[in-house]
Amino acid sequence: MGNNKYKVLIVEDDRSISRFVQAILESNGYQVLSAERCGQGLLVYASHMPDLVVLDLGLPDMDGEEFIRQVRRESTVPIIVLSARTEEQDKVSALDLGANDYITKPFGTAELLARVRAALRFSRLNMQAAPTGSTFTVDDLVIDYDRRQVSVGGNLIHLTQTEYNILSFLSQHTGKVMTYAAIIRSIWGTMDDGSVKKLQVNMANIRKKLGCRPGDNRYVTNELGVGYRMLDE
Amino acid sequence: MKKSQKILFDFAFTFATLSLAFGVNLALQELFDTRIMIPMIFVLGVFLVAWRTRGYFWGIAASLISVLAVNYAFTYPYWAFDLISPECLSSAAVMLIVSIMTSTLTTQLKKQEQMKAEAERERMRGNLLRAVSHDLRTPLTAIYGACSALLENYDELPRETQIRLLTDIRSDAQWLVRMVENLLSVTRIDAQRVRLTKHDTVLEELIDAALVKFHKHYPDQPVQVEIPDRFVSIPMDAMLIEQVLMNLLENALFHAKGMKNLWLRVTISDSRALFQVEDDGCGIPPERMKELFTGNLPSDAPTDSRSSNMGIGLSACSAIIKAHGGEIHAAHRPGGGTIFGFTLEMEEAHHGKQ
Repeated sequence: MGNNKYKVLIVEDDRSISRFVQAILESNGYQVLSAERCGQGLLVYASHMPDLVVLDLGLPDMDGEEFIRQVRRESTVPIIVLSARTEEQDKVSALDLGANDYITKPFGTAELLARVRAALRFSRLNMQAAPTGSTFTVDDLVIDYDRRQVSVGGNLIHLTQTEYNILSFLSQHTGKVMTYAAIIRSIWGTMDDGSVKKLQVNMANIRKKLGCRPGDNRYVTNELGVGYRMLDE
Repeated sequence: MKKSQKILFDFAFTFATLSLAFGVNLALQELFDTRIMIPMIFVLGVFLVAWRTRGYFWGIAASLISVLAVNYAFTYPYWAFDLISPECLSSAAVMLIVSIMTSTLTTQLKKQEQMKAEAERERMRGNLLRAVSHDLRTPLTAIYGACSALLENYDELPRETQIRLLTDIRSDAQWLVRMVENLLSVTRIDAQRVRLTKHDTVLEELIDAALVKFHKHYPDQPVQVEIPDRFVSIPMDAMLIEQVLMNLLENALFHAKGMKNLWLRVTISDSRALFQVEDDGCGIPPERMKELFTGNLPSDAPTDSRSSNMGIGLSACSAIIKAHGGEIHAAHRPGGGTIFGFTLEMEEAHHGKQ
């Protein structure tokens, strides 16, 4: 039975944090490996090939970003980054390097488990060949990739070409925070000074058309100063 | 950029003052046919320059120029220099003394003002420290006590008691986290006096993020939101402003006893955004009103730590808003309750390098 469990690697130098993360994950049916330093983490990673990595950015021996870079060379294993509130820029660069998600310290059980589930689901989806002619559903929002149509509660929503592209791009990475830079690269190809603003205006229009109210975004959450995330549960 | 502006101002002021003195002297000479006034007018000019400009340079320059001007235009031989006459040297000495003494005095005055401001900051920091150590002790004592109770009597304590103790530990820890975040913001801003890294932030996204966070902690308190319908983008440090909004909403929740409604409003005038958090609770006594943002504990501060956290939360808000170049204020709400408001500039004052 035990070998059916998802293996999660925690790389975190603070023992108390590492221990309680381990306790939460183990009691929810994950098998947990832990490492206190980057170097050790890379070794454990190579020998056990975990299904998910939870990574603290501020490690004593090496920058956490270096860890992401090395792992990303050969693998798409989901990586969740733990960061302090003030490390805004680190968050963005970790995401751009290929981390799947971040959790801001301090965090609670529910938040941690939700992110872990989302990241594992994302990697499962990625392993299958991209399904053609499928639809995407979250809450009462449905995206029909074939017809390039979006509906909410059965009502067709009229989106512009760009708005549809953004929404469909986010839905293909559901549960994952997409940074402004990543979205812009995929939609417009190049990035200039006005790009972020252009994206923000488009997102505002999308929210309006989908009928989202501040504090009650059921489909796409906005991560201030970082990017957007399509919800998946 | 700012420095070069100051230098430009000092130069222009010196030039204008001296030209004026020169012109007035020419006119007086015509009118009264006497030269008694001439040195006096120039001394006045030098005094003004030394007083209004920075440092000693402009005052000294003005006094030398004045000496030359008097020598050139108003003493024999007219419209020619005669620099070695004893009159010229002695008047130069007087002018120099006037300008140096004035500059010294004004520089001292400016220093004194700076020291006063420094002392004020120091006092605020001291207040904050006192409030903090006062406030840290209570939850830490509670956490320590609850943990010891659990560890040492694990088998004897009934399950409900254990869960209650653990719940208390969690809420005390959460409270400490919030307070430490506030403290971090305050010290970060006023210790280094760094320029904030402002980014254009979409108002709707800011409000959304703050509300999501607020609802996560307090799912039972609805907030009525009124923001402009159009796309609004404001330069700010979004994390810090989000924290201000959280603090103001939490304050209302904890302190506005009997509150039924909680509003969050944003209105835009041409150059400013006005954020308002409004409650219809018990209101704040007038004597507390003016001390709200200073981090001062009222002398009869209750030992209940939660109520003095209001002081820290609000001084954090005040520090954050001031660092943004905005204003924060509190007022009684007509019909009972309190309105907290703050403003932010819609445009960056100047687009200098960060």
